[in-house]
Amino acid sequence: MVTDEALSAVFKGHSIDRDNVAHFRGRLERRLLINRCIDCGVWRHPPRPICSSCWSSRLEPTPVAGTGTIHLAIFLHQGPPAEGVDYATPYPVVTVELDEQPGLRFTSSVVGAPNETIAIGRRVRLDWIERAGTPLPVFRLAEGAGQ
Amino acid sequence: MISARNPMKDKVAIAAAATTGFTAQNTERSQLSLGAEACIKAIRACGLTASDTDGICGSAVPAAAMQSALGIPEVTWFANPSIPFGNQIAAAAAAVHAGLAEVVLAYHTPYRLPWNTSGALKDPFRRGGMTMPGAGAVPETVAGVAGYTAWAARYLHEYDARREHFGYVAINDRSNAARNPAAAMRAPLDMDDYLAARMIRWPLSMLDMDVAVDGADAFIITTPERARDMALPPVLIQAVVLGMIDRNEEDQTPGLHRHGQHVVVEALKARSDFWTDGMDLFFPYDGFSFITLAWIESVGLCGPGEAGGFIEANWDQAAKRILIDGHIPVNPHGGSLSEGGSQGSGHVREAVHQLQGLAGERQVEGARTALLTPGGFFFNAQGLTLRRA
Repeated sequence: MVTDEALSAVFKGHSIDRDNVAHFRGRLERRLLINRCIDCGVWRHPPRPICSSCWSSRLEPTPVAGTGTIHLAIFLHQGPPAEGVDYATPYPVVTVELDEQPGLRFTSSVVGAPNETIAIGRRVRLDWIERAGTPLPVFRLAEGAGQ
Repeated sequence: MISARNPMKDKVAIAAAATTGFTAQNTERSQLSLGAEACIKAIRACGLTASDTDGICGSAVPAAAMQSALGIPEVTWFANPSIPFGNQIAAAAAAVHAGLAEVVLAYHTPYRLPWNTSGALKDPFRRGGMTMPGAGAVPETVAGVAGYTAWAARYLHEYDARREHFGYVAINDRSNAARNPAAAMRAPLDMDDYLAARMIRWPLSMLDMDVAVDGADAFIITTPERARDMALPPVLIQAVVLGMIDRNEEDQTPGLHRHGQHVVVEALKARSDFWTDGMDLFFPYDGFSFITLAWIESVGLCGPGEAGGFIEANWDQAAKRILIDGHIPVNPHGGSLSEGGSQGSGHVREAVHQLQGLAGERQVEGARTALLTPGGFFFNAQGLTLRRA
């Protein structure tokens, strides 16, 4: 069990607080947890302390299927230092619209695919890699799926 | 819910605007030093002294430090809203209208710091300066500086748009800056230069991003009655809007069709006596080139995805700049991309100077109205209508 004290060191570069701590603890178990309202069922990311649709405080950090469609895609020619990222090949950053709910999106990278195949509209699925020993949620292009 | 109510309409004036000019190098000066210089210029331009000021509205430099530096004996209201500069205008105008203060000194001090240029790290007095917490600390995010790049990519995907359309914005700004002695970047720029520029985050390059500068702008904001007794023609604030929607995170915002700009446009239109068909000057924000295309579309000059074609139809080939209907320049001072990244204060200052007839060789003859849209999409879309009294 990682203590609250240690979490910020484990997730360097992220700002961990009471509202998003469950999401980051989920990552340690390779589970991508997104807040879902127990009362009205609406998903919302990033984590907020109440449901913005019905104002319920009963939110459940809930695993998502991890399938979705690339909505935004950019390629970093430079960026912050990170293990395994050298930017010599521009580093893809994608925002994926998750299948759970229209407009519900999660941002990460795509691994295992040449940059020219990473494009808005491509289907992806969640996978996990490690960075400095900490699990990092990423996406892979779904096999054989087009636009 | 968007209200058309605007009891402040034309009841607050900008009496003067002043600048230090901008440079894309680390000066051996503090933000306070640059800010104080601009403030003294603005106060003197009105024919006032320190003791005539009873309100202060600044950005990063605390109002208390500015008051102390300038020896302003007493103030009854002060504030330090966050940038872009529409926030300072809104706060100062509301304070004057409400009677919290009568003569407000407003300022902004764009400064080269680690959050906007790694060049700032060379200066030991800048290293500890403002950084952007949580944004840009890991690569896998579109928060902060990457946000507009991400939606620029979406724009290219959704519409028949090309990178050249972003390039027009950069070239327009550079051509205009050539006529502005306060501008940091004045060397000519053409489309080949634009397309050859170093890519930072595809699809945006160095020339799509505002220039990190040192400098300051300052303004005197007061009642129209007081302004009329001062040295320069008053410019009236017709309406100000700070617009935002609930899904304001960069990766969650609904889409190119729905973000803060649409709130700004609906409210500003409802609260103003003129719109694009009655404007003499247009100042769409250009902290990233793509934001300008979005504002051109949001204010209704053309339809979604059509800004590139709109610019081509309103392009002055000889001057390499936009002239809407052959006479309305766009960011005539050179904007964020070439005058310098002033988070909107340069746009407001140029609008004031144009409406006062003080814009030198950039002067638009007989300019009476200006539409300004500082800021971007997510949590900083703003709108301002100004007119000569």
